[in-house]
Amino acid sequence: MSNYLDLSIQEINNLLKKKEITPVDLVEECFRRIESNEDLNAFITLNKEQALEEAKALADVEVDNLLFGLPIAVKDNIVTKDLRTTCASKMLENFVPIYDATVVEKIKAKHMIIVGKANMDEFAMGSTSQTSYFGSPRNPWNKNCIAGGSSGGSAAIVAARLTPFALGSDTGGSIRQPASYCGLVGMKPTYGRVSRYGLVAFASSLDQIGPMTRNVYENALLLNAISGHDDKDLTSSYNQVEDYTRLIGKEIKGMKIAVPNYFMSDIVDSEIQDKVREVIECLKQNGATVDYIDIDYVENAVTLYQIIAMGEASSNLARFDGVRFGYSAPDAQNVEELYLKTRETGFGDEVKRRIMVGSYLLSGENAVTYYNKALSIRDDMRKSFRKAFQTYDLIIGPTTTTVAYSLGQDLDDPMKSFMDDVLVIPVNMAGLPGMNIPIGMNQDHMPIGLHIIGNQFEEAKMYQLASFLEKELNLDLDRKERS
Amino acid sequence: MEYQTTIGIEVHCELKTNTKMFSSAKNGYGTTANSYVNIIDLGYPGALPIINKGAIELALRAALVLNCEINKKMHFDRKNYFYPDLPKGYQITQARTPIGIHGYVEIDTPNGKKKIGIHDIHIEEDTAKSIHTAESSLLDFNRAGVPLIEIVTEPDMNTKEEAMAYVEKLRELLLYANISDCKIEEGSMRCDVNVSISKTEKLGTRAEIKNIGSISNIGLAIQKEVERQQEIYENGGTIQEETRRFDEKKGKTVLMRVKETGNDYRYFPEPDIPYVVLTEEEIESVKRMIPILPNVRRDFYKAHGMSDINSDKLIQNRPLSDYLLKAKENLDYVIASNLLLGDISAYLNKEHKEIEETMLTIEKFESLVDKLASKEITSKIEKEILVDLLEKPMSVEEALKEHHLTLVNDTKVLEEIVTNIIKQNQESVQDYKNGKDRALKYLMGQIMKETKGTANPVLVNELLIHLLNEE
Repeated sequence: MSNYLDLSIQEINNLLKKKEITPVDLVEECFRRIESNEDLNAFITLNKEQALEEAKALADVEVDNLLFGLPIAVKDNIVTKDLRTTCASKMLENFVPIYDATVVEKIKAKHMIIVGKANMDEFAMGSTSQTSYFGSPRNPWNKNCIAGGSSGGSAAIVAARLTPFALGSDTGGSIRQPASYCGLVGMKPTYGRVSRYGLVAFASSLDQIGPMTRNVYENALLLNAISGHDDKDLTSSYNQVEDYTRLIGKEIKGMKIAVPNYFMSDIVDSEIQDKVREVIECLKQNGATVDYIDIDYVENAVTLYQIIAMGEASSNLARFDGVRFGYSAPDAQNVEELYLKTRETGFGDEVKRRIMVGSYLLSGENAVTYYNKALSIRDDMRKSFRKAFQTYDLIIGPTTTTVAYSLGQDLDDPMKSFMDDVLVIPVNMAGLPGMNIPIGMNQDHMPIGLHIIGNQFEEAKMYQLASFLEKELNLDLDRKERS
Repeated sequence: MEYQTTIGIEVHCELKTNTKMFSSAKNGYGTTANSYVNIIDLGYPGALPIINKGAIELALRAALVLNCEINKKMHFDRKNYFYPDLPKGYQITQARTPIGIHGYVEIDTPNGKKKIGIHDIHIEEDTAKSIHTAESSLLDFNRAGVPLIEIVTEPDMNTKEEAMAYVEKLRELLLYANISDCKIEEGSMRCDVNVSISKTEKLGTRAEIKNIGSISNIGLAIQKEVERQQEIYENGGTIQEETRRFDEKKGKTVLMRVKETGNDYRYFPEPDIPYVVLTEEEIESVKRMIPILPNVRRDFYKAHGMSDINSDKLIQNRPLSDYLLKAKENLDYVIASNLLLGDISAYLNKEHKEIEETMLTIEKFESLVDKLASKEITSKIEKEILVDLLEKPMSVEEALKEHHLTLVNDTKVLEEIVTNIIKQNQESVQDYKNGKDRALKYLMGQIMKETKGTANPVLVNELLIHLLNEE
């Protein structure tokens, strides 16, 4: 049985160009892998028939780019035309969109093939993917453990090498944290770098789509493909798209790196701290300087996040009312009852909790007391990051405080999932790009990740450092043999 | 002490744009239900708003026309509430940074001019239209997302006449500046009126009368509402803050709902739309595009001796009024307005044409008016050549030649004709000498008949009187 999908992207591309393999071979292999890993519960919807058809249609198309013909998984909160998009919710269990998200148009333009929709936390609300209406995805490194969230399905898919590529979304760490738990490369780009058009909104001022991949180079390639201004998203940036692979492989000598003290405080497992310190040593040995600094308000980031994200979410999710699309309670006698029953049964507990808290936070005077104040502290935090980037090229630290933990653990503690994201949330609050790369294993052989934070639109520099460490650490992260 | 009435008015106006406020769907009236709709208007998951620059420009124009201060850095806010006609579960509006504030509209009252303060004017999107039938409720999303401006006055009006004059004036301004159709019957202009009465300085509790269907009904509704409130106070009762509507058939306002205290719309800044910044240049260029407004035209007409009736008629006939704007200052505007509203309007109505579609350039029109003013031609001649002037690219002189209507100004020729007429009409001459003025008119008529109206009437008149006195 062929294992083309284990090859590097350049090798696959050469084979495709020489017509030694076809996109159909890749898609068939991909579905063999998916079908033998059903226990991961990483997909909500498979797109087998359509994917094979698209692959066949590529037979006579010129292989014009490195992503050509490659299978990709798309998080199920990114709308795909004619392909069910559920947001892992009963509310959208049977929702088939009539349009493609801008990112979906972009990957289709590269002739990538969408093989399915990845499992996630319901409406991306959670950090374990356990709030999914379709059950939790599992971590390929230990199937009794969470894959993280909310892009847990996307992370599990790439970690188990079911596809080389996945798209995730990150509102408060939802790409980077599962990437850390599952040992892969995940990038949350600068806010505005990638169009949000077609991303079902959770918290509009924080949401951002990003690539999740096996390695750094492929991550940068996928970011190249999905970036750019979009007239359909007013918050998307006019900042020119550059080739994000351009600094990959360049030496890091002279690079100035900062580590926020808070990121290495005792909220982080010592095993993880140790791994990060090893990395810091390695960077120093290779000519980088590393300083410990303070960033204002990072310790308040979770609180700020809860106020802003839940406030916005309570409004964004108001449209799910049973009137125009999605689940509609069948036995309502009047409009009031339709709303109540639809939303009571259509949403899961975590979503309802966040809508209620969010509504409360925006009510009357609370909007001033909480929401407006949160926005202003967020500005101050932004300024503090900006100040750090006047001196430093990059900021690093651990991505998570622990490694992936057992499924079902602490499910009844609604604060727990927020605390999992304490290190990644500040990046969303500041609108900065952040990424995870794997830097090793703990003693139970679960992945540990490094968090790299860049200044606005300096993703290329982040990939430079990431690729250096990837090469230096030379980790074997292939989970195929174990699964 | 008498009760003092206090009135404030909120007007919603649909902007005359091609597309909707936050989507590229068409903005139109009266088509098949749910045909001008896209995923943004339906609040589809993943859809995001875009901004209609044309709508911003029209709103800016409105703010300028209403003498407002402009918010140069403005954002949008979400107003959250559940209703089936509200697709997203929130309305995008401007709660904190309305495009215009602190404006005014000047109205005429029996006591002179009065400024009605404009508290603010803000941009928002319209809701879908609910149609309730016996069995079900239907929704038409054609209207969902149509750009609106809401214009909120200060509580500056004290009589129903002032309220009506305000709405009338506002409508005229918005129509003139091409901002809105302002069709109250079709709902492109909607008026909510707040009414309270009080015997003291402190304002009374107000009632809001929603969506009144015509300007005359605004007057009627206010009158009935004031009567209702007076009766309650006189009977020792208290007014509660409530929303009412005017029932035309019953001829009174009826309760819709009592206002809940602190209606909680959970406003917050719309995160999908960044700040909109209006530059000084943009504001200036919009200012330049504002047509000359009715009050300016009225003042000009009055200063040039035009009657109030003609002035009003011209203001109501926008194309003619615009046409006249191009004319020179030292024109006889009395003759010009008579000509435009009389013979020219008759022709345009008959031919279903606009003045700008005819061959009557403003220069030709000026020359025609000048010749009438100097009595070089008579209105009879004007009538004869007018159609040619409107339809052919010929000058007034050319038209007169074509019709052999060049005025006879030669005194010798005229003297002969006048002498002949006097000879032939000795009876009238006698009448004239006996003091009968009619005789002079008769003789003039005979001369004009003889010359087919080509005799210069001024000269003829002088000659005739001179020769008669010599008889």
